[in-house]
Amino acid sequence: MAYQLYRNTTLGNSLQESLDELIQSQQITPQLALQVLLQFDKAINAALAQRVRNRVNFRGSLNTYRFCDNVWTFVLNDVEFREVTELVKVDKVKIVACDGKSKYEI
Amino acid sequence: RSCLSPPELYKSIIEDVIEGVRELFAEEGVEEQVLKDLKQLWETKVTQSKATEGFFKHSHCSPRFSLQLPHRSRSILQTSAASFVIQTGRGFQQFTAAKLVCSCSDVSGLDEAVVSPAEAVLTLLSVGQLYKVNMPVVVTQASGDGNILHYPVQQMFHPLGQASVLQTSLASAAQVNASAAHAAGETLQPQETAVQQAVLFKPSYVEKQHLESSATLVQQPTVNLQEFEINAELNQCSESTEKFQHDNLHTAVFTPECSEGLFVDESLASSSSSVLLDVEGQLDVEHPELLQQQDLKLHITFVLNFHCGDDSQAVPGLFHSCPMEPMEQTESDLPLEKDLCSDIEGISQLDGTGDVSSNEQIPHTKDKEENELVGFIDSEDLRVLDDEEDYDEDCDSSSNIESSCSDGDNEDLQIDIVEEDPLNSGDDVSEQDIADLFDTDNVIVCQYEKIHRTKNKWKFYLKDGVMSIEGKDHVFAKATGDAEW
Repeated sequence: MAYQLYRNTTLGNSLQESLDELIQSQQITPQLALQVLLQFDKAINAALAQRVRNRVNFRGSLNTYRFCDNVWTFVLNDVEFREVTELVKVDKVKIVACDGKSKYEI
Repeated sequence: RSCLSPPELYKSIIEDVIEGVRELFAEEGVEEQVLKDLKQLWETKVTQSKATEGFFKHSHCSPRFSLQLPHRSRSILQTSAASFVIQTGRGFQQFTAAKLVCSCSDVSGLDEAVVSPAEAVLTLLSVGQLYKVNMPVVVTQASGDGNILHYPVQQMFHPLGQASVLQTSLASAAQVNASAAHAAGETLQPQETAVQQAVLFKPSYVEKQHLESSATLVQQPTVNLQEFEINAELNQCSESTEKFQHDNLHTAVFTPECSEGLFVDESLASSSSSVLLDVEGQLDVEHPELLQQQDLKLHITFVLNFHCGDDSQAVPGLFHSCPMEPMEQTESDLPLEKDLCSDIEGISQLDGTGDVSSNEQIPHTKDKEENELVGFIDSEDLRVLDDEEDYDEDCDSSSNIESSCSDGDNEDLQIDIVEEDPLNSGDDVSEQDIADLFDTDNVIVCQYEKIHRTKNKWKFYLKDGVMSIEGKDHVFAKATGDAEW
């Protein structure tokens, strides 16, 4: 099974909202919605692994770190993201990272 | 491995998911239309989130969209690069899209290439208040005619608040474009507006007649802005505005007094009723009006319960002190309060040095505690008494005396209360702090290859991530970071 962590993204949340609407209108069952989400997990994991090539660097100050159930959660402040020549600065960012070596669902 | 920008990547993922569940839907007996609805809903929500604009230039990963020619057009269109000029609050951002390649044969059964609403919105990124699309187009005719017509087509997209203007402006643009020679260089004046919404655009090209007549391709982009589309978009965008407004988190704030008061109120159920009756008896005699004040009675009960003799029920730390002196000053007028104060002697710190079992230790803290407690009661009394209108003079005078004798002490008492924080309170990390700490709109969801730390220097080696930075989505295959803790 693929990681479900990408469900908390714009794409994942919009899919869940759409599925919720269809469930509310009784057009699909919750079980079918779950199957769709599982399919989404597979698709996005594969897409990110195969269809994305760019690289990003960032630098900031680490406010908080947490490691639980093999999941790292960081909160960084005053972060600069850089890709090629572009630079973006944010005051606060949260990073949620699952183990990249393991493909088992957390 | 190809490189896709976020909009393209999202599009491909949506397609993969829809195709992947098509059989599932069929097995479940769900109609095909439901699947289409799901796709439509999904794409609409992604569009409304306005998260698919990348602030990183992806010149090597350009958005593509196909153009649909009108019917009966058998020409092959080749388009040169389309440039998008997007005006934001910080000025114009311009980036170049990839070449738009359109072939009639690519569209099965149709000679038309249309930009679907989802594609149009996804790729024609709506960022700021207004964006202008400048699409120079090169058209060739496959029949060997060889005529090539260059048409820089400029179209203006207005925010939805000015849909009517949009129609007008685009209609005029269409008319201008109809005259081939004058199609180029037509620029509509940008208009600023406070509305930031996506505009649904569906260009279509009317070709046939011009083709046959002039043997050239005349690009006449006419915008089919049907009202229902605009209205639908308006509705969607208005909803999205509500949705994507950042709501303030209103958290209930419980002051220590409130929470403690609540806690004690619960414990009142087990309070000594006999003591309460005694107090009430006294109240009847001395201050009948006060009896009518529920809050006052509660407070009195509250006090009594605390020291009603059942020390085991006492809640340590609720009262910082037991104020007495002001009560003593009004002793002659308020025997009740004197009784209360005398009872309040037992309301002191029950732990540490304030051992309940030992009365000797109480007096030296008595004054301070008494003051604070009286201040607490008096402040409540003031509020309650002020609300009542049927006080007699005696009662008023007594209440005034209460306030007069306690006003001077209130500030001091309040200051004292504030200054006396619970021990080691600074070491506490409340749940609310933790929730706020991890609550942010900028989130990166990814996988880690390696997390390295040396002393307080951290290094992050991440991969396959989706970033949502200031409302905009970005993706990365690899990310490297440094941070100091």
